[in-house]
Amino acid sequence: MSALSFEQLGKAYGSDDVVTDVSLTIRQGEFVSLLGPSGCGKTTILRMVAGLVAPSRGRILLGTEDITALPPNKRGLGLVFQSYALFPHLTVFENVAFGLRRRKVTGAELDRRVREALARVRLEAYGERFPRQLSGGQQQRVAIARALAPQPRVLLFDEPLSNLDAQLRDSMQIELKRLQRDLGITTLFVTHDQSEALSMSDRVGVMARGVMQQFATPEDIYHRPATGFVASFIGKPNRLSGVVAARDGKGGSLRLGSQLVLNASSIDQPEGAKVDVVIRQEAIRLRSGDPEPGALAGTIALRSFSGARVQYVVKLTEGVELIAETASSGPDSVLATGTLVSLTIDAGSVFAMADHGAVV
Amino acid sequence: MIASRHGLMLIAPLMLVLAAFFLLPVVMMLPTSFREYAPGAGLVPGVWTTENYARIVTDDYYREVIWRTMGLGLFVTLACLLLGYPLAFLIARGPERWRVPLILLVIFPMMLNLVVRSFGWIALLANRGLVNNLLIQLGLISTPLKLMFNLTGLMIGLTHIYLPFMVLMLVAAIRNVPRHVEAAAATLGSSRLHVFTAVTLPLSAPGILAGSILVFVLTISALVTPRMLGGPTYKVMATLIYDEFMQLLDWPSGSALSFALTAMAIGVIWLSSRLTRRWAGMA
Amino acid sequence: MSSTTDNDNRPGFAVTTTALAVVVFLQIPVIVVVLAAFSTTSYLTIPPRGLTLAWFGKVLTDPTYLAAIRISLLLACGSTVISLVLGVAAAYALFRRALPGSEAITSVLMAPLILPAVVIGVALLQYYSLTGLRGSLFGLLMAHVVITVPYIVRSALASLAGLDLAVEEAARVLGANGFDAFRLVTLPLIQPGLVAGALFAFITSLDNVPVTIFLIGANQTTLPVLIFSSVEMGIDPSVAAVSTLLIVATGIILLIADRRAGFHRFV
Repeated sequence: MSALSFEQLGKAYGSDDVVTDVSLTIRQGEFVSLLGPSGCGKTTILRMVAGLVAPSRGRILLGTEDITALPPNKRGLGLVFQSYALFPHLTVFENVAFGLRRRKVTGAELDRRVREALARVRLEAYGERFPRQLSGGQQQRVAIARALAPQPRVLLFDEPLSNLDAQLRDSMQIELKRLQRDLGITTLFVTHDQSEALSMSDRVGVMARGVMQQFATPEDIYHRPATGFVASFIGKPNRLSGVVAARDGKGGSLRLGSQLVLNASSIDQPEGAKVDVVIRQEAIRLRSGDPEPGALAGTIALRSFSGARVQYVVKLTEGVELIAETASSGPDSVLATGTLVSLTIDAGSVFAMADHGAVV
Repeated sequence: MIASRHGLMLIAPLMLVLAAFFLLPVVMMLPTSFREYAPGAGLVPGVWTTENYARIVTDDYYREVIWRTMGLGLFVTLACLLLGYPLAFLIARGPERWRVPLILLVIFPMMLNLVVRSFGWIALLANRGLVNNLLIQLGLISTPLKLMFNLTGLMIGLTHIYLPFMVLMLVAAIRNVPRHVEAAAATLGSSRLHVFTAVTLPLSAPGILAGSILVFVLTISALVTPRMLGGPTYKVMATLIYDEFMQLLDWPSGSALSFALTAMAIGVIWLSSRLTRRWAGMA
Repeated sequence: MSSTTDNDNRPGFAVTTTALAVVVFLQIPVIVVVLAAFSTTSYLTIPPRGLTLAWFGKVLTDPTYLAAIRISLLLACGSTVISLVLGVAAAYALFRRALPGSEAITSVLMAPLILPAVVIGVALLQYYSLTGLRGSLFGLLMAHVVITVPYIVRSALASLAGLDLAVEEAARVLGANGFDAFRLVTLPLIQPGLVAGALFAFITSLDNVPVTIFLIGANQTTLPVLIFSSVEMGIDPSVAAVSTLLIVATGIILLIADRRAGFHRFV
């Protein structure tokens, strides 16, 4: 049962196409993220759902109801803004009560529902404060309580965590996810942070230049990217120019330079085609010593240790460089610069893309 | 995200009022300025002439009034600058707790009725006014100084009236001068005077210009103060227009003078905006 | 940051004394008028020959003065209210960019400030003579709206510029229609600026002579025009008395406006 869906949604400003032909179905209770670099159209879609921007084409349906032409105050949605947009002249209580008052809720019922909403974000004691007296994180939670209090059918988030510092962001992610689970409320979440999208969502829609690249579960997005953009946007990719050396069923081999050959399990370009070869950093396995059969030989040129993980820049033949990332499993496991290593790359983690993968 | 037709509805009432009670009346003065007036008879029907405008530049009396008005504008602007800058500096850079009281003391006379202020100056500058009485009592003079009905009285009065405007604009300009730039100049060896002339003054120049334009235009447009302190015979352009309409009933001539005064005001403003844009380009 | 306030470029002794002298200069005519209002003689001396409240009594019972005060207050309140309604609506439409050519429109709205007041006065004189509005209260009211509305528009635009648009959007999504969002969220937030603008408008109307003097009818006058004509006929301490009443009223309004709305921030 669909809670929210778009049919061929599009938005153009003059001749500038900001959103092109996006169709999506979100199930009841699902947490969906729209992920992409700035300017990809994700925020425009969110604002069209909220009714703050009128679509140029397509429809938006809430359940079975076509809300495309409805003004924002009649849609029964909740929206948490990036800047929180709390009403500075009202107390926290009145901020949260605002949506309820518009629905003619008053008296004891109003009181109860406001306190309930505040309790859910653990700010019960702050009712009489003003927004300027609260920290960023607290303001955020008031914004959430305010959006939730009128019991909206769908909850919308516009990059709500981007103004918080890293630690706060992590704890808020968990809190938001838990809140969403408890309430079972359908949620559309816009962000440019991929780890955020992947960790919080049931499904993720990756967007680039107004076009939906892929709409799938986080696992699929990560392990089975549908387009070059997704492959190069998610995770930490190496991107190199290459040629399709041979095709064998669904996959084949790719050649970097004149000698380096890699197997790939999914290639959709013909033999001889020039492609962008995308290899995830995390997919490269390194072992010190001579290369085993089927593996590549290289030397560690640079090493970057960042606590839980280590990044190595590995020089292969013909000046080809690959960046590999591994977990550091102990103080002695880190390889020193100059070490000869053997690289093994799983064919399933090598992708050949015809487009050059739009990256910001 | 507001419908165009709503925007139109919101602004239409005001535009209608301004069109009916401002634009139309002003535009309708234009044809009148080309008519001829016969004393005692009214407008001569069917006669169109540019004489009203020509007279402004050819007639000695009119020319004198125009020069006097412009000269007054210049003097008053200069006086307001010289008197106003120190006060603005004190407000902008002085002790923090003096700021609000000082600003209120500047705003207060500005909010006060113009007629009342001019009246105050009459009480001070008249032949039997306070200043003369005081000077005679102290034995410094034996006959009263003529401080009214001449350039002196008008200068003093108008400077006083428009000084607050200049001060407030200068305060804003000085506050915009970044103090760390001044500090940098000081560490590079500038004396306090040099910091002022080399850094503060040039950087507050846009505000100086804006304030000067404002005071100049206000001064050449002034009616009440020149009428009260200058009397019915010592005229500036605004009082001349007043007489043409109320005393002489020569509406065509008055209309032409009105457009001339308007042209001067707009001309000055336009010139200054050209200057500002040039300066902004150089900055 | 505090070190920058310590020693660099603070006003010196010369600047401070000049500045304070200028402040005193600014208050002198005000003081003189107040003194004259209490003086027993019709000319001023320092020290005054005697003090009396007689002139105040004369003013407050004189029907001409009372009528003039009534009309002035009527015009000031009426034009301020009308200007607020018209001006805030216009400023809001401009702010939301709901109109093409908003720059040109803003110039037109500000034009009454640039044109010399006397020119507006004579233009309306001719126009009202043609349309039969000369001497009518309605004509006077509209004239005062024209000269006061630019102050309202200017302060409304300035206040709106400091607003976060998202706040109004939040109100809309939460269920408020356009008007409610404006009334409950935008309006309270721009209120201090509007109060300052309204005060300017009120005083501009109360103060006005160059436009009003051309438009009043035979048996009506406003307070400033009355004082203006009285002075032409010779100094009478009752003029000083009514002026003092105006001074006191202005002072009180200014203090209240600053206490309540931080008026000094808006000039």
